[in-house]
Amino acid sequence: MATVRFRVNGKARSVDADPSTPLLWVLRDHLQLTGTKYGCGIAQCGACTVHLNGGAVPSCQVRLEDLSGADVVTIEGLSKQGDHFLQKLWVELNVPQCGYCQAGMLMAAADLLKKNARPSDADIDGALSNICRCGTYPRVRMAIHRAVAEQS
Amino acid sequence: MNDLSMDRRSFLVSATVFAGGMALGAARAAGQPGRSGPWGADAPAGIELSPWIEIAPDDVVTVRVPTPEIGNGAMTQVAMNVTEELGCDWSKVRAEFASIHRDFVEGGSYTSGFLPFFSGHGTDPVRMKQALQLGASARERLKAAAAARWKVPVDEIETRPSLLVHQPTGRKLRFGEVAAEAGRIKLAAEPALKSQSEWTFLGKASPGKLNLPEMVKGETVYGIDVQLPGMVYAALMQAPAQGGRLKSHQPEAVLRMPGVRAVVVVDPAKTKGAPVKPKATFGLQGTAAQSGVAVIADHYWQAKMALDALPVEWDAGPGAQWTSTEAINEARRAILAKAAGKSIRKAGDVDAVSGGKVVEGLYATPLCENATLEPLNGTALVTGDAVEAWLPSQDQGQAFWVVVDETGIAPEKVKVHQTYVGGGFGRRTLSDDARMVLAVAKEYPGKPVKVIWSREETMRQGRYRNPVMTRFKAILDEQTGLPKAVSAEANATGMALPMGYADMPYFTSGIIPNVRLATSDLPLNILTGAYRAPCYNSHAFITETFIDECAIAAGIDPLEYRLRLLGKWDKSWSDCLKIAAEKAGWGKPLTKGEGRGIAISNWPKGALRNEGTTMCMVAHVAVSEEGTISVKQVDVAFDCGRVANQDAVRAQIEGGVIFGLNTALNEEVTVKDGAIVEGNFDEYPILRLADAPRLINVHFDALSNNDRFEMIGEAPMGPIGPAVGNAIFQATGKRLRTTPFRKHDLSRTAADIASETGVVVTSLSR
Repeated sequence: MATVRFRVNGKARSVDADPSTPLLWVLRDHLQLTGTKYGCGIAQCGACTVHLNGGAVPSCQVRLEDLSGADVVTIEGLSKQGDHFLQKLWVELNVPQCGYCQAGMLMAAADLLKKNARPSDADIDGALSNICRCGTYPRVRMAIHRAVAEQS
Repeated sequence: MNDLSMDRRSFLVSATVFAGGMALGAARAAGQPGRSGPWGADAPAGIELSPWIEIAPDDVVTVRVPTPEIGNGAMTQVAMNVTEELGCDWSKVRAEFASIHRDFVEGGSYTSGFLPFFSGHGTDPVRMKQALQLGASARERLKAAAAARWKVPVDEIETRPSLLVHQPTGRKLRFGEVAAEAGRIKLAAEPALKSQSEWTFLGKASPGKLNLPEMVKGETVYGIDVQLPGMVYAALMQAPAQGGRLKSHQPEAVLRMPGVRAVVVVDPAKTKGAPVKPKATFGLQGTAAQSGVAVIADHYWQAKMALDALPVEWDAGPGAQWTSTEAINEARRAILAKAAGKSIRKAGDVDAVSGGKVVEGLYATPLCENATLEPLNGTALVTGDAVEAWLPSQDQGQAFWVVVDETGIAPEKVKVHQTYVGGGFGRRTLSDDARMVLAVAKEYPGKPVKVIWSREETMRQGRYRNPVMTRFKAILDEQTGLPKAVSAEANATGMALPMGYADMPYFTSGIIPNVRLATSDLPLNILTGAYRAPCYNSHAFITETFIDECAIAAGIDPLEYRLRLLGKWDKSWSDCLKIAAEKAGWGKPLTKGEGRGIAISNWPKGALRNEGTTMCMVAHVAVSEEGTISVKQVDVAFDCGRVANQDAVRAQIEGGVIFGLNTALNEEVTVKDGAIVEGNFDEYPILRLADAPRLINVHFDALSNNDRFEMIGEAPMGPIGPAVGNAIFQATGKRLRTTPFRKHDLSRTAADIASETGVVVTSLSR
């Protein structure tokens, strides 16, 4: 066991657990932040995507021992009131179906737009490799296009 | 229809004001977003106008919905149905899941008069009518309460959204101001429903799902997100070859690992059995516990680490006879070679037909896994003589009775709470997963136990898509090119449904004079179950590929051929074909290496007129020199009668196209020594955003306006696979008779592609 201090959604947190525990399970089981989802555990599906020090990563691949001093943002911290422009568009365009993948999808999309305000379709394809079993991809793409149009 | 008189109770007054009513710290959703669940109270709560409708003093209307929400919008649809008649402001409507415990204790508050289960879609005719009636009844009682308050005749009162207005004086009351009084009013007679032409909401508005604002904040509580005080976690492993047994394990090797509390064994013989006759929706067959072992720990990661380290030996059992997928295919071919199948549709005499071109083929689909993105899981607390469970079930009426059966606890002591569901696609209908949760939790009583299947365990312990292998043969009429005889045998395993096969109007409408369709069964130890649109997802691919081959053999355009074959059938089928083709630019020239294909089918009632959802798709496909398939455009025309929420229907069709496309292009689990080989998404590919067709055009022009609001989620699983396969044939001249297509080599040289001419031989005659 090891105590590791880092920040989650702007708050200082301290977690005492096995150093190998993936950030995914630290968030879900130790910090009760269940918006970040377990889908595959091997960085294939993207359901567990969070922002680590400003960039999108699969949280299943980050170990607790590597988090010391890190800054983590989860879906719960993407905006204060759930009013990030992507969250609003996701509701307006009825993007989610079952919704299980959508936290990861939103975190990946927010990261893309932060780094590239006018992504091409190829940029979107490259940045969003998240799996959605319900098949919401057309609406995800549409929402990102709308976001680009509205932000510019 | 006398379901309403049978079900008076649902409309009766029960103005009871209870606080909370929650057990074990699982607080109700109200006031505690994020950490609470979407499940409703197990006893009357709030100001109720029926067990279904609660109206709070601030006008918030809570609709208690028995239908789970798996992403199709069924929860929202039921609330919409109530809203249409109640006349409340949609922005004040919320929904929660009805309690099956309450349903049981009260003798059917939610089930009577309905299909006897909690599953299904939001526009089933019986359910839809009852939801409308519940809304109308509540509205009339609100009006009566306002009339009593004002001492005026009730017919002077009109409703505005969430308002009651006294017309002569303009006085107003909010719904919430009179809800408690309304709850005590009993109507002399149930009010008549509006005619559909008077609807102002259903079929007019297209609201998004009610739960989206929470969902985009990560607050939606799926099964895997349930949090309870004192909860512990279990990681589960079942016999790798289904039906196998735990031979030995060494718990002492892991009991000292951090956080580990116990190692428990799941022994199917320990299923207690229900103390009363269970009324499970689908029966209990196929829900048996599987031999397994679980590690229980303070946190899931600890449980998983210990399970991975646990020395375990298994007896493979009889499933090991299936040494490979090829062994299964060989067994299927051997059964078909005997031609001893059971006839399920017969017309004329196929054996007496001779002469004419013969079209013959062997087609097959594989085992596939539902791959819901939320892995299987569930949480349960077993104490002495009671049990409480939180389950991401597709059918509470099934889950409840499985819990009763596994624990042997009396149903009145059983509480099952419906969570949100991170994808169902049929995997969570039988509740075999719920049984495993209880089988583990009952070995560790007194603490809530959250049992999580890893992705690998979820994928290797599926209830797989029923694989179908079919031999089809047609003899074509020399003049018309249409079949004068069709014979076939479809081999499946377990539950065999005819949709997309024996119910296709080609074979039922009489246009083909001689028909013999048979089925046969392959007993398989690998367990099969419901996978989005069971059997239809195979049969429609096979039938529509075969029909395409007949068209090509006859030298007739595949669209024209289908129109002729449907000449004795409903116009709606022909409309779907024509509209999808026209919108897709059928017949217009394409670049070399590209093709268009068409297919049509109906879920779930193809053989009946004005029933089910008929759906036609045209796929535009490009196949590269390397053999990579890309689907550029899909045009969809369909007839489900009418639609209640256009955008919800569009979303289901878009998603269904992509799901079905993945089935056709990518999906197969393979078998080695009775166990499933593939474990995760690196071995079981799922289409990503980059791979999805850029254009999925959903056309509403083929709707017949027949008075039905048929289910929509399954229908796309029929036509998409064959439309793409038929397009691949047009593009390359290669006929794909088995899925997944990615396992076929479609590569060819640039010179080959340049010489491809397309194989449509006649132009359209219309």
